[in-house]
Amino acid sequence: MARVQRTLRADVRIPVASMADIAFLLIIFYMSTTIFRMENGLPVTLPEAESAERLQNEHLAHVWIGARGEVSIDDRIVPVDGIAPVVARKLQADPALTVAVVADGRVPYRVVARALEELQSAGALSITFSSDPQAR
Amino acid sequence: MSDIAFLLLIFFISTTIFRIEAGIPLVLPRPGASPVRISPDDVLVIHTSASGLVTLDGQPVTLREIEPRVRQRIGANPGLIVSVSTDPAAQYRSLVDVLDELGKARATRISLRMGESG
Repeated sequence: MARVQRTLRADVRIPVASMADIAFLLIIFYMSTTIFRMENGLPVTLPEAESAERLQNEHLAHVWIGARGEVSIDDRIVPVDGIAPVVARKLQADPALTVAVVADGRVPYRVVARALEELQSAGALSITFSSDPQAR
Repeated sequence: MSDIAFLLLIFFISTTIFRIEAGIPLVLPRPGASPVRISPDDVLVIHTSASGLVTLDGQPVTLREIEPRVRQRIGANPGLIVSVSTDPAAQYRSLVDVLDELGKARATRISLRMGESG
């Protein structure tokens, strides 16, 4: 009986030649997706909402409303009555603008209603209430 | 070369913040638009009091009850307008809670107003 001799000579070595290519690919991915946060806004605890939809980052302006009713746009504190001129100017620069109302969940509705009136008078009709998409 | 690539890679990985923003979109009516007359049959009033108590057409409800009841009412009357009235002293969170339930119930015709407890 002939003996078949099998020799295992598989060379176990991970090919690393393409490693740099992969690294560059990942770099390009991260570079293109990185958004350096330009706006700090206010520290807010967003209300939670399951039906919240994801927002596009383009054509988005934020109006921050803190827990004590303070309003900040572009990291500048503005009085509630001063929202309209600022937003009107932004709207002129980008007519497709959506205004995200980033308000703390504990703020009284009075303040938000006042801010909405301001947005309406500025012509910013497309708005969104920013919320935390986590389930309750 | 690949050292530099990895250095850059680590830099970008550590600085990237995937900003996932979510929100409840609304379209406000035009300012100065003439108020539309609507039949009271087509209106469902959801009121939130200052303490966060929600009533649906005058009956107190829990948040979880809103979705099925609104869904049922829309099924019966597709032109239903949900009037969300919120006490000025109520927390903003309670408005978002109600809007969330309405969003889940696919209620698209919503009117926001500020209402004293009644």
